[in-house]
Amino acid sequence: MKLAMLAPTSFQLPEAMSSFAPTIDDLYMKIYWLSVVFFVAIVGAMVYFAVKYRKRAGHKAEAATHSVFMDRLEVFWTVAPIFILLPLFHEGFRGYMDLSVAPADSIEIRVRGAQWRWEFEYPNGESDNVLHVPVNKNVKLIMSSEDVLHAFFVPEFRVKKDLVPGMYSSVWFRPTVTGEADLFCAEYCGGKSKDNTGAELPPAQFNGHWSMISKVKIDTPEAFDKYLDNMAPVGPLEERGRALYLKKACVGCHTIDGSKGVAPTWKGVFGKSHKMADGTDAVMDENYVRESILNPNAKIVAGYTAPSVMPTYQGTLKEKEIDAIIAFMKSLKE
Amino acid sequence: MSAVDKPIAGHVDDSHGDPNASYLEAKHGIGPWLYTLDHKRIGLMYLVMISLAFLAGGIFALLVRLELFTRGKTIIDAETYNKFFTLHGAIMVFLFIIPSIPAGLGNFFLPIMVGAKDVAFPRLNMWSFYIYLIGAVISLASIVIGSVDTGWTFYTPYSTTTATAVASMTFGVFVLGFSSILTGLNFIVTVHTMRGPGITWRRLPLFVWGMYSTALIQVLATPVLAITVALLMMERVFGLGIFNPKLGGDPVLFQHFFWFYSHPAVYIMIVPGMAIISEVLATFTRRPIVGYFAGAMSSLSLALLGFLVWGHHMFTAGMSEFSTMLFSALTFLVAIPSGVKVFNWTATLYKGEVWFTTPMLYALSFIFLFSIGGLTGLFLGTLSVDVHLHDTYFVVAHFHYVMMGGTVMGFLAGMFYWWPKMTGKLYNETPAKVGWFLVFVGFNVTFIAQFIMGSRGMPRRYYDYLPQFEPFHKASTIGSWILGLGLIIEAVTLLSSLKNGKKSPPNPWGSAGYEWQTATPPLLFNFKEIPVRTRGPYDYHLATPEDLYDGFPEGEPHGD
Ligand code: HEC
Ligand code: HEM
Ligand SMILES: [Cu+2]
Ligand SMILES: [Cu+2]
Repeated sequence: MKLAMLAPTSFQLPEAMSSFAPTIDDLYMKIYWLSVVFFVAIVGAMVYFAVKYRKRAGHKAEAATHSVFMDRLEVFWTVAPIFILLPLFHEGFRGYMDLSVAPADSIEIRVRGAQWRWEFEYPNGESDNVLHVPVNKNVKLIMSSEDVLHAFFVPEFRVKKDLVPGMYSSVWFRPTVTGEADLFCAEYCGGKSKDNTGAELPPAQFNGHWSMISKVKIDTPEAFDKYLDNMAPVGPLEERGRALYLKKACVGCHTIDGSKGVAPTWKGVFGKSHKMADGTDAVMDENYVRESILNPNAKIVAGYTAPSVMPTYQGTLKEKEIDAIIAFMKSLKE
Repeated sequence: MSAVDKPIAGHVDDSHGDPNASYLEAKHGIGPWLYTLDHKRIGLMYLVMISLAFLAGGIFALLVRLELFTRGKTIIDAETYNKFFTLHGAIMVFLFIIPSIPAGLGNFFLPIMVGAKDVAFPRLNMWSFYIYLIGAVISLASIVIGSVDTGWTFYTPYSTTTATAVASMTFGVFVLGFSSILTGLNFIVTVHTMRGPGITWRRLPLFVWGMYSTALIQVLATPVLAITVALLMMERVFGLGIFNPKLGGDPVLFQHFFWFYSHPAVYIMIVPGMAIISEVLATFTRRPIVGYFAGAMSSLSLALLGFLVWGHHMFTAGMSEFSTMLFSALTFLVAIPSGVKVFNWTATLYKGEVWFTTPMLYALSFIFLFSIGGLTGLFLGTLSVDVHLHDTYFVVAHFHYVMMGGTVMGFLAGMFYWWPKMTGKLYNETPAKVGWFLVFVGFNVTFIAQFIMGSRGMPRRYYDYLPQFEPFHKASTIGSWILGLGLIIEAVTLLSSLKNGKKSPPNPWGSAGYEWQTATPPLLFNFKEIPVRTRGPYDYHLATPEDLYDGFPEGEPHGD
């Protein structure tokens, strides 16, 4: 503990376990030392002046006179900070852009948050309440919430992102060491310590925001593959999507062979931009598909009439099912 | 003293009281207090209510900290914990800190400082007090009815789905907002139209500049809060889909609305604190604040820039990269006027005559603590670093350093500084300084521990925590006890002076400030005749030390 105090980075920040951590820690420590310098200068000057010019017999305040030096000093300390703050802002923004744009080769994992649990669903369609990721691979999480706001937070990775009900958000990272890290919900989401009759539960059964925590297990690629293999195989996500396509009667209107029916085909369209009836362009991404399913009238594809003949699936398709359909659509390459 | 005043021979006009008697003595009984239009009595009644709110908010804070002393359940169950931290935040923000300086001390001193008998609309002023009371009762009633567990930020969709009395609590906040708007309006008009002879804009005390800037924000920003809580209530009560995605609304919209008010509101909180520090530093160094004009302008620019940075509370909520960039850049811009103020205060000590009274100690602590608060704001304004720190205890510590370390230190400085003026009694300096020491130490112990656990990853609003955070939580809770003890000592020191305190001379600090050049306690109409000011409020070089205590010569008009 005493030694740790001498190494401010490891005392103030948790272990660095992702590719972002070193740059963010660097910037953090830069601001820290900058703050230390300013703080010592301000408080040092304050204490020095206060003691030196303290009220005592024989000492009187000097009459204030207008001084050019003071004017210059004032201009200096108004303008100078701009040159210190500008690089900070710039570096912070660059780091933020890195956090925002996931590399194309990322492994995609679905994250669903709900009061008060996490669900992580892997490309093989299986889910777990602990997040396993392979070391040194880019991982992209596509996240949604089933009820209120939550936030995905792994201090060791230095990443955090809100889960907003009604839309997808995403976050990515590249773990750099194998091991284990804590995973928290960082956006307040309530809690419960009484049963439905209003009687208090035993403390072990309290549940809430603070208990919406889990672990990230960073495996070697081999261990990660083994982990995936060992999960009960129930078929990949896209296969479930295909089943839903048939079962939920999307097949009645949408084709998957590229031919045009009463509705646009799904073949080779995911990820592409296409024209809307109002002349704008829309990219067919997760959010767009989700919106089309839940609220078909929000955007009408060019060549189709409004209101859309497609019924809304709000309430009939579960989050998980929408995810499966999206995976199915993605698999329909040209 | 009967509740019903009988005409007494010699009283000029009993319905209004004797204008040349002290405002405390001009009228007797409880009635004249309750329907008083006098800004000083209204200010004092505000101070009483505000102090009670501070007490209530403080008790909740201590309970929350106590619960976190050990892992698992310590004293209260989880639902109660969630309600307590919500109550702590909401009471401190809406019932205590926002009205504290403007409605309490501002009401009392602004008219005296500008050389007016009262504010522009005394009746409106009384109404603003009663609206505050009504708002306070509604919010507090929500505690009894079913309590609120959303945090003071009321984020949707949680706040529109939870079973607690959010609707009535937010309605209380809505009502409180009106009280705040009325006070602001009153101050703006008073400063524009009622300045006494010789009080030019450039001679306006910095406290008045601060109140004026605050009033502008109150009038411009608070309506947005009213709209937001009105929309929230419509959603809760009538099921209109505005913020709740299940009803077709957008939860992030609420955050934009909320912070569009609440960021400017942090300036409603800090600018008045800064304003008091400027007055106290000038008096206890016998020097004008360095950069008077810069001080006034930085208050104004803080007030206006404050409207443009609300998005920095939402860096992880999924805004576009472009807006994120703008909000971060503007946030850094706000840091500059704050920095200028701190530099100017420090420079004011140079070649002064520094007198370590209790208010001065609070003013110096303000500089110390606010610097930490402001500098940690830089970590949070820096985008990539904020992603890590957002919604952790680091943010909690940051805003306590600015709100408690800033505004509350300013408020306490003002209370001790003006206590003799308001009550006519001197408090006892020794226990006041002991109390100050405990407050200062306790505060730092409580919140430095929170900075460290925050940057190490401890999320905020957690009922329980992982073992690695235990030492920090323990330290923080112990700090809160020291802090609490210090505040109790301060309260006892002030209150006991009412009974045992020596009578205060008119100007116990020998200040050149305008408010000290009147009777102590002030007369009902503030002045026997409206004074003509021929000098600025910090012109110490125009008087000998004796003059300062016995009556500052006004002399021939000079200057601008
Ligand atoms: C009654 C016919 C009908 C059914 C059944 C139907 N859709 Fe549609 N859908 C349409 C039409 C017509 C459009 C184009 C007009 C529009 O944009 O709303 C469309 C558009 C879409 C789009 C946007 C496609 C694009 O190219 O922009 C998606 C995604 C979609 N539907 C998904 C589904 C899913 C998933 C199902 C089954 C659960 C389904 N639809 C069932 C008629 C239907
Ligand atoms: C130097 C100037 C300041 C800067 C750069 C700054 C920056 C920030 C930033 C970026 C945040 C958001 C952090 C997050 O949630 O991730 C924040 C939070 C906050 N700040 Fe400041 N700040 C400054 C001064 C102040 C002042 C003067 C006050 C009030 C008196 C204040 C009160 C708050 C509050 C209340 C919050 C958090 C509210 C909440 O989430 O509950 N800040 N600050
Ligand atoms: Cu959560
Ligand atoms: Cu803010």
